Amino acid sequence: MTILTVALKDLRGRFVASALTAVSLMLGVSLVIASVLIARGIKESFTEGTTDYSLVVGAKGSPTQLVLNVVFRMDVPTPNILYGTYRQLRDDPRVEVAVPVALGDAYQGFRFVATTGGYFAAFPWRRKVFEVSVGRFFRDDAPEQPTYEAVLGAEAARRTGLRIGDRFYEGEELAEYPLTVVGILRSTGTADDRAIFFSLASFWETNEISRKMRVKPLTAILVRARRMSDLPSLHRGLNVSAETQAVFPSAVLLGIFNLLSLAEEVLTVILATVAIVMLLYLFVSLYSATLERKREIATMRALGASRATILGIVLLESCALASLGGAAGILGGHGVAYLGASLLAARGGLVMNLFRMSALEPVVIGSVILLGALAGLLPAVLAYRTDVAENLAPLS
Amino acid sequence: MAQTWPAVALHGVKKWFPLGNGRSLEALNVPAWALSAGSYTVLTGPSGSGKTTLLNLIAGVSVPSAGTISVHDTDIFALPEPRRDRFRARHIGYVFQTFNLLSAFTALENVMLSMMFADAIAKREQRRRAVEILSRVGLGARLSHKPQHLSRGEQQRVAIARALANNPPLVLADEPCASLDADTAREVLAEFLAVCREGGKTLLIVSHDAAVLDAGDQVVDITRINHHAHRMSVGEHS
Repeated sequence: MTILTVALKDLRGRFVASALTAVSLMLGVSLVIASVLIARGIKESFTEGTTDYSLVVGAKGSPTQLVLNVVFRMDVPTPNILYGTYRQLRDDPRVEVAVPVALGDAYQGFRFVATTGGYFAAFPWRRKVFEVSVGRFFRDDAPEQPTYEAVLGAEAARRTGLRIGDRFYEGEELAEYPLTVVGILRSTGTADDRAIFFSLASFWETNEISRKMRVKPLTAILVRARRMSDLPSLHRGLNVSAETQAVFPSAVLLGIFNLLSLAEEVLTVILATVAIVMLLYLFVSLYSATLERKREIATMRALGASRATILGIVLLESCALASLGGAAGILGGHGVAYLGASLLAARGGLVMNLFRMSALEPVVIGSVILLGALAGLLPAVLAYRTDVAENLAPLS
Repeated sequence: MAQTWPAVALHGVKKWFPLGNGRSLEALNVPAWALSAGSYTVLTGPSGSGKTTLLNLIAGVSVPSAGTISVHDTDIFALPEPRRDRFRARHIGYVFQTFNLLSAFTALENVMLSMMFADAIAKREQRRRAVEILSRVGLGARLSHKPQHLSRGEQQRVAIARALANNPPLVLADEPCASLDADTAREVLAEFLAVCREGGKTLLIVSHDAAVLDAGDQVVDITRINHHAHRMSVGEHS
């Protein structure tokens, strides 16, 4: 038997109180972990999921809405622009690459993204690589000859269960234009994992309004300038137009991050309050347990336990409770963060990788144990100073 | 010829309790008293006459206001507190009136706990020794029971086994049978005395029980050794 086993048995002896204290610690730590993971995940998914293109061109309106919708598939789509804008940009000598994008409805919650093969093309400046894990990319069919071929993002394929060769459609009105799965993408860790891609010609044909339009609609155009020095003039030219706006995705992200940092500051205050409440709860729990156990402490002292041993037992109890609550809180926090991330991913296009190794967990568990030891210090000193003879007296 | 030291020797021992405002209550004043090794002494006296205080002083859990107390020729209050704690664990067994078993621990663990504090028996031996001594007091089948699942007689047997776990030469017992019915008290006492006599231990028991008084080598009325037992005095002490 060691003082650790004595401490653990003492905790087991007051199972309900110990369990409640550990659960409250777990809830507090879960809240801290989940909040930090989600805040960090949102930031990272914005950073990693952003486009490599220098400009996003869309209809006049909110720049944030345009970027959130086109790049992250969040928010509601912006109004349409004309396909002619794409042709002008494609032929502009200042533009290296222009990729048209039209966002449609969704199939089982996975957004239809109509585009060209250029969307998936690899360029030296592109970090994101598109590869099919099975099948192939859809063909860039001619406007009057849609093939209705679809390529699914990895998550969309997994969740819908669609496989190569499967035909599918959303809603009765589209029953006569079923799409056929020809490829499934490897995971990119971005909103594209949750998209269903197909050609513009197929999109225009399946959409009743665009089918009737002589000049076909687009949602946005992704533009890469040939030179950095061309960007200001392109940006200006597109923004003076009455119909279009050009947005720097990086500038929009900066604005989002500024908003997030404000939220993070508020979150930090809330989390610090949670930590203090946790600390107080642990302290009160251990303090009252020590008061209740004065007789047992006096008995241990009478059996030969030194004051240091008693101090060690109470501190170990405190640290054991903190470790247990902390470890369970880290697991619980990851669980809550996973649920939160799934919810965000389902509602928007933020794909978070929450389970990468980081310093967060060791730092949190270390801090919780340290705080636990701190909370246990006063009860431990109280136990240390217990008067043996006084507390051994028979109870009246 | 080898010198034989008394098991316990008190010289000029006084104990007073502060009452505040510089006043204190003198509870004990024992100019000199000794217990020979291997003796069985019953301490009697009226309630509040300082019997438990005397036991606590000999056990070293309460510090005398004046005087010296030697146990097997060791002046226990000359030892620094951690060493006194260790000395108590190894040399003095204490049986309480209300057993004072630790409720979170089984009978076996209560006994082993005492060995852990003494650190006098090798860890691998502690369990064997605890089982042996619990079996000796008739609790071989109750090792894994917690105190609340034992009868009062069984609880006191565990307390006795715990006091004897480190094979201490001196055993102190404060009204060990007071919480038991007459039949159980007789059984427990018989086992307790048998185990102590087998081990040649010095036994000091506070009791008013006739059976205990009859079994003692000597019966000492505390009023004979404590000059303040019959007149608790309030005074000023420096």
